[in-house]
Amino acid sequence: MFAINDLIVQYQLRGKIVHAVDRVSFSLENNESLGIVGESACGKSTLGLAIIRSVMGGKIISGEILLDGQDILKMSDEEFTKNIRWKKIAMVFQGAMNSLDPVFSIKQQFEEILRTHDYSGNRLEMINEAIASVGLPSSVLNKFPHELSGGMKQRAVIAMALLLKPELVIADEPTTALDVLVQAQVLSLLKKLKKEGMSLVLISHDLGIISEIADKVAIMYAGKIVEFGTLQEVYSNPKHPYTKSLLESVPKIKGKSDLMSLKGNPPDLANPPEGCRFYDRCSQAMEKCRKDPQKTKTKSGYVSCWLYE
Amino acid sequence: MTNDLTVVEEILSIKNLKKYFVKGREFSRQKETIRAVDGISFSITRGQTFVLAGESGSGKTTIARLILRALEPDSGEIFFDGTKITNDVSSLKKIRTECQMIHQDPYASIDPRMTVLDIVKEPLDIHNIGKSNKRRDLVFEALRDVKLEPDEIVSKYPHMLSGGQRQRVAIARAIATKPKLIIADEPVSMLDVSVRVGILELMRELQNKYGISFFYITHDLSTARYVGQTIFILYLGKIVEMGPINDVLSRPRHPYTQALLDSISEPTPDNLQKEKKIRINDPIDINVYQGCRFRARCPYAIEKCKQEPSLEQIDGQRSVACFVEIN
Repeated sequence: MFAINDLIVQYQLRGKIVHAVDRVSFSLENNESLGIVGESACGKSTLGLAIIRSVMGGKIISGEILLDGQDILKMSDEEFTKNIRWKKIAMVFQGAMNSLDPVFSIKQQFEEILRTHDYSGNRLEMINEAIASVGLPSSVLNKFPHELSGGMKQRAVIAMALLLKPELVIADEPTTALDVLVQAQVLSLLKKLKKEGMSLVLISHDLGIISEIADKVAIMYAGKIVEFGTLQEVYSNPKHPYTKSLLESVPKIKGKSDLMSLKGNPPDLANPPEGCRFYDRCSQAMEKCRKDPQKTKTKSGYVSCWLYE
Repeated sequence: MTNDLTVVEEILSIKNLKKYFVKGREFSRQKETIRAVDGISFSITRGQTFVLAGESGSGKTTIARLILRALEPDSGEIFFDGTKITNDVSSLKKIRTECQMIHQDPYASIDPRMTVLDIVKEPLDIHNIGKSNKRRDLVFEALRDVKLEPDEIVSKYPHMLSGGQRQRVAIARAIATKPKLIIADEPVSMLDVSVRVGILELMRELQNKYGISFFYITHDLSTARYVGQTIFILYLGKIVEMGPINDVLSRPRHPYTQALLDSISEPTPDNLQKEKKIRINDPIDINVYQGCRFRARCPYAIEKCKQEPSLEQIDGQRSVACFVEIN
């Protein structure tokens, strides 16, 4: 089981506080995968980084992150690194394929992970297993990053996350910057890994990619989760006006081609407005929306909107 | 549309265009020739949006740069609005004022040290369009056309604008010279989902208002369908399929087009339970320039594919370069 309660993460920027993640809560059952969707700068990457306690330049202010009932935010750094980081929760960082070290072979970079985490078993076996699970031949281990294509590098980075057999893997935009066909191949790899029992937290702005992986979906807007529920419910019966407009702004390959565009820009997270943060762009805003919306229970999750009070 | 080709007016017509690049340093022994654009012919009808789709490395951007003569073609001819584009000053001036470009990344394509006024005015200054005291009015008109409030925005710098606003400024700069053709190279791929539609709608609107033709370069077939009427699918420097966009996307005839369509994930909850199948093979190691270029990855490849297929007309408006009938 995995749950987050009232998580607040903030950055200090030129003396101002940026409310990147603001009182975020949700919970997942065993083996469920989550998709976090939102526009740039909505706080989705920060949320992912907070789960692995690696928010650079920012601070986790309060809240709980529960993994199997244990609050990982209460642990000391040593304890977290020793027991949780990469062993239970691993992450594929955004743009990670471009941060492979150019002067070390792929194998050396895998060994470094095992060394850092004091792995004492058969290292080569572990590495070969991880590389095979992402469908790469073991010959890539002796290669250097520049000898691999984008898709192969991305697979290698995913294999690195899988190396210590974590329960939960956070993947931040794992397919962006890849070519369409390669993107689809990485996606089917993630689907396969999920089928084999891995839980994923997939962070993306692409509603299509999320729909391939996520059992549950969290729609994030300006630091808050505005709607949370099963993929089925959120996509077929979206409730929050923001979710609706996101779904209606995606051009389709088949069927009618009427689209709705969203006017305006998201609010400044250093100075968020009172009340609902979607107020300025919402077509159904009312007087009430000047106050913070309450969470209303839905069939499979919740929505934060006064329309459903 | 009429079938009589003589009636159709073409804003741009390209005949057998070729551009090869040689990879490898001057003194290195291993040299490799990349056939970025290899014998491409097509024409763009006035007032329409033509889509050129393909992956990175397929030669899309090279074609755009050849049209604007930022690159010199190895061979082939480009006719723009009836004029053959060569290196003489008058034809270069014609193409560079009447054909404009919108780039992919609005964070890189506009100068951070210039105000919006100067950015949009620059092409007018360069090409000496309008009296210098009237240029400000032309800038204001262009900004209004892209739905920006001129008074609010002209004195701002790019860092004060959002991604969507920046791209609108880039479009305002492109329409300031009243072009007949705009080449849009992935104009929305860097923008947030919710902002994309606004930009695509704007392109449609400008087309209706001024009759501008668009040459839309993309790898994203869904946005392509939203703006385009005709599509070309490009693979390693060759056009493999072309035709009216709805026909091509609903009944692809080339295996590569089919694979591109397979790879799209549309936001429907059904995807979760389905396996994702892309009808493409892992590439085998063969010389891609011998025979069909897609042969190395094609699941339908037959012996005949070792010869090069040419782009053949299959019905009224569609053409495909493939020996196999997949659909």
